[in-house]
Amino acid sequence: MNSINEIIRTIPLNYYIFLSAVLFCIGVMGVLLRRNIIIIFMCVELMLNAVNLLFTAFSAYSSDPAGQVFVFFVMVVAAAEIAVGLAILVMIYRNLKTIDIDQLSRLKW
Amino acid sequence: MNAIIALSLLGIFTLFTGIFNWRKAMLPIVVIGLAGVFVLNGMDYFTTPSWYADYTHMVIFDRYAVVFSAALIMITAMLFFLCKQYYQKEDNNISDIYGLILFTLVGGMLMASFSNFAMLFLGIEILSIPLYILAGTKRLEVTSNEASIKYFLMGSFSTGFLLFGMALVYGAAHTFTLDGIRQYTDAHAGDLPTIFVAGIMLMLVGMLFKVSGAPFHFWAPDVYSGAPTLITTFMATVVKTAAFAALYRLLFYTFGSAKPIWFDALWGVAALTMIIGNFSALYQHGVKRMLAYSSISNAGYLLIGVIAMNTHSANSIFYYTLVYSLASLVSFGVLMLVTQDNGGDDSYTAFKGLARNNPALAGLMTLAMLSLAGIPPLAGFFGKYYIFINAMENGYIYIVLIAVANSLVGIYYYFKVIVAMFAKDTAPTKIAVQPAYLFALVVAAALLFVLGIFPDWVSGLMN
Amino acid sequence: MKALLAHIEISPEIHNGFTDAMPMLMAALILLPFLGFVFNFFLGQRLSKTLSGVIGSATILGSFIIAATFFAQSISGSFTSHQVCLMDWIEVGKYKFSFNFLIDNLSIMMMLIITGIGFLIHVYSIGYMHHDEGFSRFFSYLNLFIFFMLLLVTGANYLILFIGWEGVGLCSYLLIGFWFKNQEYNNAAKKAFIMNRIGDLGFLLGMFKILDVFGSLNFSDVFSAAGGFTANDPAIVIITVLLFIGACGKSAQLPLFTWLPDAMAGPTPVSALIHAATMVTAGVYMVVRSNVLFALSPFTMELITIVGLATALFAGTIALFQNDIKKVLAYSTVSQLGFMFIALGVGAFTTGMFHLMTHAFFKALLFLGAGSVIHAMGGEQDITKMGGLSKKIKITFITFTIGVMAIAGFPFTSGFVSKDEILLADFQHGKIYFILATIAAIMTVFYMFRLWFLTFFGSFRGTHDQEHHLHESPPSMTVPLMVLAILSLVGGFVQFPHIFGGHDYLNQYLSPVVTNTIQEIEGADKLEIEILIATCIGLVILWFITKKNYAVSEFKGEYTGFKKVLADKYYVDEIYEALIISPFQKMSAFITKYVEVIFIDGFVNGAGKVAQVAGSYIRLLQSGHIGYYLFAMVISIVVFLLLNTIIHF
Repeated sequence: MNSINEIIRTIPLNYYIFLSAVLFCIGVMGVLLRRNIIIIFMCVELMLNAVNLLFTAFSAYSSDPAGQVFVFFVMVVAAAEIAVGLAILVMIYRNLKTIDIDQLSRLKW
Repeated sequence: MNAIIALSLLGIFTLFTGIFNWRKAMLPIVVIGLAGVFVLNGMDYFTTPSWYADYTHMVIFDRYAVVFSAALIMITAMLFFLCKQYYQKEDNNISDIYGLILFTLVGGMLMASFSNFAMLFLGIEILSIPLYILAGTKRLEVTSNEASIKYFLMGSFSTGFLLFGMALVYGAAHTFTLDGIRQYTDAHAGDLPTIFVAGIMLMLVGMLFKVSGAPFHFWAPDVYSGAPTLITTFMATVVKTAAFAALYRLLFYTFGSAKPIWFDALWGVAALTMIIGNFSALYQHGVKRMLAYSSISNAGYLLIGVIAMNTHSANSIFYYTLVYSLASLVSFGVLMLVTQDNGGDDSYTAFKGLARNNPALAGLMTLAMLSLAGIPPLAGFFGKYYIFINAMENGYIYIVLIAVANSLVGIYYYFKVIVAMFAKDTAPTKIAVQPAYLFALVVAAALLFVLGIFPDWVSGLMN
Repeated sequence: MKALLAHIEISPEIHNGFTDAMPMLMAALILLPFLGFVFNFFLGQRLSKTLSGVIGSATILGSFIIAATFFAQSISGSFTSHQVCLMDWIEVGKYKFSFNFLIDNLSIMMMLIITGIGFLIHVYSIGYMHHDEGFSRFFSYLNLFIFFMLLLVTGANYLILFIGWEGVGLCSYLLIGFWFKNQEYNNAAKKAFIMNRIGDLGFLLGMFKILDVFGSLNFSDVFSAAGGFTANDPAIVIITVLLFIGACGKSAQLPLFTWLPDAMAGPTPVSALIHAATMVTAGVYMVVRSNVLFALSPFTMELITIVGLATALFAGTIALFQNDIKKVLAYSTVSQLGFMFIALGVGAFTTGMFHLMTHAFFKALLFLGAGSVIHAMGGEQDITKMGGLSKKIKITFITFTIGVMAIAGFPFTSGFVSKDEILLADFQHGKIYFILATIAAIMTVFYMFRLWFLTFFGSFRGTHDQEHHLHESPPSMTVPLMVLAILSLVGGFVQFPHIFGGHDYLNQYLSPVVTNTIQEIEGADKLEIEILIATCIGLVILWFITKKNYAVSEFKGEYTGFKKVLADKYYVDEIYEALIISPFQKMSAFITKYVEVIFIDGFVNGAGKVAQVAGSYIRLLQSGHIGYYLFAMVISIVVFLLLNTIIHF
């Protein structure tokens, strides 16, 4: 445990923060710019993984295992979420024959 | 804690009743089970929790949690009384729907009782994921599909922000427990590090999304109006109550001493939420969508209760959410009946003449609308009154002025429904109502009346 | 959930088993009639009339028994004044309101009158209303009325009193318009409601002023703090005048009296219970309850005396030549209420309460007797068409005669004793008051004799059918009449003058609550004898006059000259119509036409339009595209964070 922590600490904490911030932003941009629902799902996953990286880094730097445990929660929840999301996607594809979010604007105003 | 365990087991058991096809027994099992859960939950009211030491710093069942959970369970039970008639034509998946509603309730209770960020996160997700499915339970209707995917995409997107915020707070405070973070906040109240401040703000974004505060409210009108009305009712009542319980708990128990940091932001959000909600509701032609916007505007009033944050705030927020939930239950309940046979037409004109052929329903709807509009002596009036007085005590005059002006706007569109119902126009035919359905509505409406006359019965439960 | 019986406040000096049981008893006393209401209102139509009537009456009997228990305990001295808190109600800022009830000798006396007479009238109604289709509805309203009336007299603060006050007004409205298919009756109900609102506004303002001055509406707080004020303190004067305006509305004093005669549109038991014995005396009760405040304001006291005197005379003259049996009694009620206020005004609060009690007995008796007559006549109320009934309906005749004797003041009946005391108090206050009050009392004798002779003597003047139909009422109606007749005869014993070997029991009983400001009367005994002799002489003279004129076989009942003015009630209704109602209607027409169009429509609708237009644009934010929503969210987050940074760094 200690040795892994030490290895992680060889890189300054700020680097981790910047990296995950950048990853997170890439995810956000992906969600904003792409129109295909599956790709949007993947971008959301990227956001969550950026967060996971951040948890891990903080956890290592503060020698507190809680952060790493949290990562497992996030991963499990993300898996559940994606499962539900894909099911919804299938349902929509059956009705509309499309997975383009721009086609979904019946509910407005 | 026993209540949450029992409730989870009840949910699983309900799924099994679907497998064995015990269709008749399903509803009684759920309702009796909920009654048991209510009692289990109530027993915690009389024990004093050891602060943040129970359940390895994960959850705490103080009076705040117990009282909010009780309200959540009660409203859910009332909703189940509406289920049977609403899902009359649904054949296959009724047990899944019941089970999912129960799991959502588990999430809601966790959100009221968390004492650790992990539980907050899990609570939110346990609440949200079943809801994504529930919003799409009318599988063949495109609007229901659209509501489901919109809710899912935006919900998971906002979860990302919430998590990022949690990570940043964790980075500064090195702990996930509420008391640990509170100690950190208290110790560094003057000079909080930037990542901590950014963390608070991002978490706020995630939470404000859940309570549908503007400008993070965009999902709400579409999802509310697209989802099956019963699920909309559930979202407007139980989900909203749970979200506010979580938001207030988070801000009060952890970031209380960092109030200067989030106060202005929340002030602005509250004002914006009220304005956008009310003015958009003004222009709606469909009652369901009007109620959706009304739900947003009510979130605005509740946010005033959150920013006031003094000794009475928890009570006043609880009273308001309870009363709002009851009024929503009644109004959506009547709406469901009106739309069930007319092909889903929920416009104001569909309500015309309701008072003539269905005086009981019109009476219930009138009570609910009057309460939402805040007309004394109904409970809605005292809800607003407590919130406003609280804010005034802290000297937040301007936000109260905005709120009062907004509630005047609100009276207009609520009364539009009443006027339509009592119009002497073509009347809808007599609507068939099952006794259980009517019972739930009458109980809710009676509570609106009784709580308006005796607000002290529930407004002091947390003391 | 808080326990219903939150806590019990016990007067420090006495604590015994009975006081512990009082919250329960008090709750039962008040809730029994309410349960009767709920039962009759929701289930009554599905049950037999007998059951509905029995339940309605039994609940009142239960309350009466509890009130009697209180009375027995208060006499035996287990408590004097006891405050029961059934429930905390609301806290608004620094003000706290609770469901507090005060059980003291004054409220016990009122409870006994209300539930006692109320019970008799309920029993009577079983017979009287038997053929009515709205039987259970009638009983539910009556029970609700008793509930609110009990709230009114037992409340320990002005707020509860006010709730009861409004509640009895509501019941009165419902019962006057009970036969709602008749539009005239509905109008009478509306008139009563509106006139009462004017008075209620005064009462409400008075309450606000009390809250402002004393910071509390609790009787105990207000009355103990009132000691710090000097006589004629402006604040107290304002409060008492406002409260008195409230009392004027409820107790039908000048100028707000015209609703009471119209209220006779309701069924006769209602007239007896609400518009004679109980509700209309609420104003008297309220003034007596607040006697500490009124005693501090001699100005208001003088005002009350004058208004009471004017009402007694005014209504008395109108009653002289009315031809409707219930109208005569109604104006007589107004006049007798005037007497009560005279007593209050001169500071003889106990005497006012005494007259309230005896009046409740004999006026309830007279109304119920009148009801029995109307019942026998098949709904006829015009006394010009009656006559010679004394032999046809014996029990009614005898009991009614006792009622007439009591109200006319035959020596030693209850009416004689109480009225005699009022005259004595007037004499003490000033000769002119005494003379005017005596004139009013003489008029009472005149119109009651006239009514009595016209109804029961001479020969029958109605149609042949009516004569054939004449019959005595069933026992459920005659038994209450007999009970009330006995009470009317002997009710005066509680305050019998010393000179005739009596004792002032009532004075002593009420002394813990009520402080009379009038001094001991000098030479009272001598005056007492003089009044007795004068009464006897007067009665004999009036007997012969009225017998000659009214015990007749032919009676037109049409008047000319000044008598016509009196018979037409001084045209007060027409004057109100011309002076107030029609200008008001014209003004509202004007407002509708101009002010509303220009100001209201222009401004309010303008604001509404602006809001609508704003709404029509704001809603466009909701475009329906998820991509747009997500984008808006991210922009919002960025703005959110940026603004926060700018504000704080």
